[in-house]
Amino acid sequence: MKRFSSLLALFLAPLSALSATPQKSFEQIAKQADAARTADRMSEAIGLYTQGVHLHPAWSDGWWWLGSLLYDEDRFAEAAPAFQKFVALTPKSGPGYAFLALCEYETQDFGSSVKHFGEWARRGSPGNDALLDVAGFRWASLLTREGRFSEALYLLAAKAAKVGRSPALVEAMGLASLRMNNLPEDYPPERRELVWLTGEAAYYSATGATLRASQYADRLLVHYSHEPGVHFFRGTLFEFQKDFGAAEQEYEEELRASPDNGPAMTELAVTLVDDVQPDKAVPIAERAVSLEPQNPRSYYALGSALLETGKPDQGARALEKAKQFAPNSSFIRFTLAKAYRALGREEEAKRESAAFLALKDKQDVLAWPENRRATPEQVDPRGTKKP
Amino acid sequence: MTITCLAALGLSALLTAQAAPAASARGAGQRKARNGEVSRVAFEQLSKAADRARDENDNEDAIRLYRRALSLRPAWQEGLWYLGILEYEKERFLDARDVLRRFVTYDPSAGPGWAVLGMSEFKTREYSRAFDHLRRAMALGLGGRKEMAQSVFYFVAALLTRFEQYDESMNMLLAMVKSGQKTDLLVEPLGLAALRMPLLPAETPPDRHEMIRMAGQGALAVEAGRQGEAERLFSGIVAAYPNEPGGHFLYGVFLLDLRPADGIREIKRELEISPFHVAARLRLVEEYLKEERFDEGLMLAEEAVKLEPKDGPAHMMLGEVLIAKGDLAGGIRELETSEKQAPQTVRTRWDLLRAYTTTGRKDDAQREKGEIERLNAPTGEQEP
Repeated sequence: MKRFSSLLALFLAPLSALSATPQKSFEQIAKQADAARTADRMSEAIGLYTQGVHLHPAWSDGWWWLGSLLYDEDRFAEAAPAFQKFVALTPKSGPGYAFLALCEYETQDFGSSVKHFGEWARRGSPGNDALLDVAGFRWASLLTREGRFSEALYLLAAKAAKVGRSPALVEAMGLASLRMNNLPEDYPPERRELVWLTGEAAYYSATGATLRASQYADRLLVHYSHEPGVHFFRGTLFEFQKDFGAAEQEYEEELRASPDNGPAMTELAVTLVDDVQPDKAVPIAERAVSLEPQNPRSYYALGSALLETGKPDQGARALEKAKQFAPNSSFIRFTLAKAYRALGREEEAKRESAAFLALKDKQDVLAWPENRRATPEQVDPRGTKKP
Repeated sequence: MTITCLAALGLSALLTAQAAPAASARGAGQRKARNGEVSRVAFEQLSKAADRARDENDNEDAIRLYRRALSLRPAWQEGLWYLGILEYEKERFLDARDVLRRFVTYDPSAGPGWAVLGMSEFKTREYSRAFDHLRRAMALGLGGRKEMAQSVFYFVAALLTRFEQYDESMNMLLAMVKSGQKTDLLVEPLGLAALRMPLLPAETPPDRHEMIRMAGQGALAVEAGRQGEAERLFSGIVAAYPNEPGGHFLYGVFLLDLRPADGIREIKRELEISPFHVAARLRLVEEYLKEERFDEGLMLAEEAVKLEPKDGPAHMMLGEVLIAKGDLAGGIRELETSEKQAPQTVRTRWDLLRAYTTTGRKDDAQREKGEIERLNAPTGEQEP
């Protein structure tokens, strides 16, 4: 059981005024609760804080400590309502949203957990390294579950760079890389080795150890070449390494196994454009758009391909659609500027270039709202839509 | 596992007297006192009925009654304990887990409480937490509950492998063998640890099931001193699975004690298949040190450190090679790095003790000596 009391104590502002008109019994309880907590008498402290917040429901510090002590004891179902009260009472609740989201993850209230991680992020993700570590990891796992794989991998790759390798990180990267809508706790055990090998390849690729990544990626082929997602993943590795020919082969292999795999089709089209084969990319991108009409990356692939085949007008229309879904993507704004310039629409080109410059230092991955493609319920691990 | 027997052993040793009713100074009016009396009577009736239902193996009824009694007295430890193990036996592991988390809050020194909590978390696949809690149970002791101890050791050993601590897992599993446990259940976890596959037995790929079993049986044969049988099994693995990672390393390590040249050849073959295998490199370094082939050892040790800069054993082996080559300062530097990364490794401390003594650093040598004594002292942890 992890001790978070000390961690939590770091975030707590000095105790606020307990009450404008304090009742003696409440003051006594509050003092006894603090004394029990500082003396490490946890169950007693929990009881006293519970009494205190019942007597004085606006006692935000009481809710905070009650939540944090219950969290320390892994009693997440009881901790969550306490943190809920705390964030409601404390507008600048700092890490309160993160702890609330962590509790909700543990109680499998995943929708609320994602929402509250988002609230936490909007407040600048306050907290120390220990909190950032655990919250970032859980959030990434939830993003994977929701089918927001690129966002999950972005968070996990940042963690990889910061804290290095761990078995849990490898597992989480494996799930996201295979585009499995699962948490580490709930995927089929028979897929464990597949997830592990994929995670190793993803981890070493993210940390720049390309040869080591390739070794694991090759091991995948020995036992799992027919598993959904394996060739897609290998395609992304080759695409990342700018080995476009190999990437195309892998995406094509994935599409042979699952012909309606929209993400594989989209990536194949993007790779073909990068590989200066836009003619070949156009029909594939068109099919990707029809399969995933709300995926900005599909429109981006189509727009880029059309632009490169000398059809800037049609390209601009596809890119405008992409921008509509992902206005904060620097890639899209840059390519759209290029299309407008080709069409002689200078003012619009300037506007898009300015947007690109403003966005280019931000992480593009978070601008792709993958979740708009489909809800988790509509997506199966193959990346294809369920009927 | 079934833990009815555990419950039947009696909880008097485990549980102190029933928790006192929650102290409450507020609202001492007559009505409150009357309500309190009604509540006390209701609790006593419910708790007795729950115990009776449990004694009569009417477990669903017992669970219902324990829950009702606990709603009146949430800190009732005996009720939490029995409810937890009844839920566990019903394989409702989430419920068992939540109840037992409350139980250990009230009695953090209850080894069996942590044990059943950890086993529940294993079942709900919260492996990291399960591992922590099972280790805690081992440290606190299980009060002579042999069946429970065996289960705890099994789960911990399996998790050690999943967390890539293969050598620790092997040591634990072999200790279980030595303690007389039936080996049937241990073959697969031993095989997985020996082949360095970070999987639980339930996660074993069907197409390598036989390979894993052969590795486990081979490890058991080595432990029993049946070298011929072990060699047949290990050579059988590399013949049947010549390109599969893990097999050549396992066979090679076995051969190093019998025919070192053959052992080196097998480990080198492993490095062709698994070019980033750090443990294979380190085992070769050890052999080269023995054979005084220091330059070859140095090259491999440096590669190992480059591959895993945070790996304590890699720095330890590099330190040993450097010292063997006469570079005392460089060797001490590597050993000190290793010590920081793996402070529990007694071998590093012995290396440092010798190196400090050679260089006349008496205080440092003395400190290492003290640490070695501390690390070698009995831990009080439960035996398998």
